[in-house]
Amino acid sequence: MKLLLAEDTADLNRALTAILAHEGYAVDSVFDGEDALLHIQTDSYDVIILDIMMPKMDGITVLRSARNLNILTPVLLLTAKSEIDDRVDGLDAGADDYLTKPFSMKELLARVRALTRRGTSYHPDDIRYRDASLRSESFELVCENTVRLSVKEFELLQTFMLNPGRTIETSFLIGHIWNGEPEATPDTVNLYVSFLRRKLRSVSSQIEISGDEEQGYVLE
Amino acid sequence: MENSIYGTHRPELERDMAWLEKEVGKIRGELKNTLGMDPIEHILARIKTEESMREKCRRNGLPETPESALVTIHDAIGLRIVCAFVDDIYAIRNRIRALPDVTVVLEKDYIRHAKPNGYRSYHMILQLSDGHYAEIQLRTISMDTWAALEHHMKYKQDTGPQTGLIIHELKRCADELASTDLSMQTIRDMIQDANAEQTDPISDQKNRS
Repeated sequence: MKLLLAEDTADLNRALTAILAHEGYAVDSVFDGEDALLHIQTDSYDVIILDIMMPKMDGITVLRSARNLNILTPVLLLTAKSEIDDRVDGLDAGADDYLTKPFSMKELLARVRALTRRGTSYHPDDIRYRDASLRSESFELVCENTVRLSVKEFELLQTFMLNPGRTIETSFLIGHIWNGEPEATPDTVNLYVSFLRRKLRSVSSQIEISGDEEQGYVLE
Repeated sequence: MENSIYGTHRPELERDMAWLEKEVGKIRGELKNTLGMDPIEHILARIKTEESMREKCRRNGLPETPESALVTIHDAIGLRIVCAFVDDIYAIRNRIRALPDVTVVLEKDYIRHAKPNGYRSYHMILQLSDGHYAEIQLRTISMDTWAALEHHMKYKQDTGPQTGLIIHELKRCADELASTDLSMQTIRDMIQDANAEQTDPISDQKNRS
């Protein structure tokens, strides 16, 4: 189990990292919001713990950006005070749970355990980009013609269609689409991108996926 | 067969069909050399039976005459070419277009634009040098499998309340099979690229240096 911890108070960050590591989690710890978002975009985690008040970028903005990228990893927010507005904003931005400081380590660990039991769910809506649409109920790719995608192809294309024009790293795709499965390699990603390229052509869509496993991929 | 719907033209039709089969056989041999594998799984050739040609005339409100069977209707001669991969269909199509003494009268790409029920196939109507027509259908093994089941379904209209469900599910199967065909094609391309790289002396040198 891999966790990302974003907490700017150095002592608390160190203490939480040590305790979580002691519990057997692999922990990446960062001290500001920008660094947190960078880690979220390039790596993959089972749970993300975000402090709200952080330099450079606050936790809620980080959370919103992650959800916009269709990253559905469970997020636990740490709020400095029991401000109702903070909690409401956080939950509305897509947090799964929150914890008000000061909290007991026992409770933090229990909440992390609860979140790791929760699976991530699909983006529920149909997505349209340029001439193509992707139907999440039926996994159909529709343009002039229709083909039905496999689960991995669907998740991959969904990630691209929600982030057009943005370069997506191979490591990110292995982490999020293949959940870091040991059999999944950059070649796997490349093959699945090739499947999608051909299937986009077969429905006569103008959408193209450029790039390769080294540079990452961009939907255009 | 005094009263054949084909009149006295049946021997010509048989000659035409044999000629077409021979030409497609040549195309197959050439592609086998360039691809390193046989692009064709099997070929079916037939002259439409008396009964089904007469039935087709009646269905289309045409008199049951040689004129209807040979001039108005274009599939007295039929060739179905079943390929392993999608790209092979288009490779063979291109070579059929280039055949001597053949005019392509009509082409319908039901692969690019599948019929609403999910049917996929590439249809060509040819006119041969003696004026007779022939229909060629090109499809992959999975398109052929699907069409066989769908054909079977058509003659069992008594499926009752399940009909809607069956039609919907057959369409889903067609779209899944099409997707699998494309995946298989992509994998074949990958294997061929890998083979080409291995035998390419330039990339060999690069690998060595």
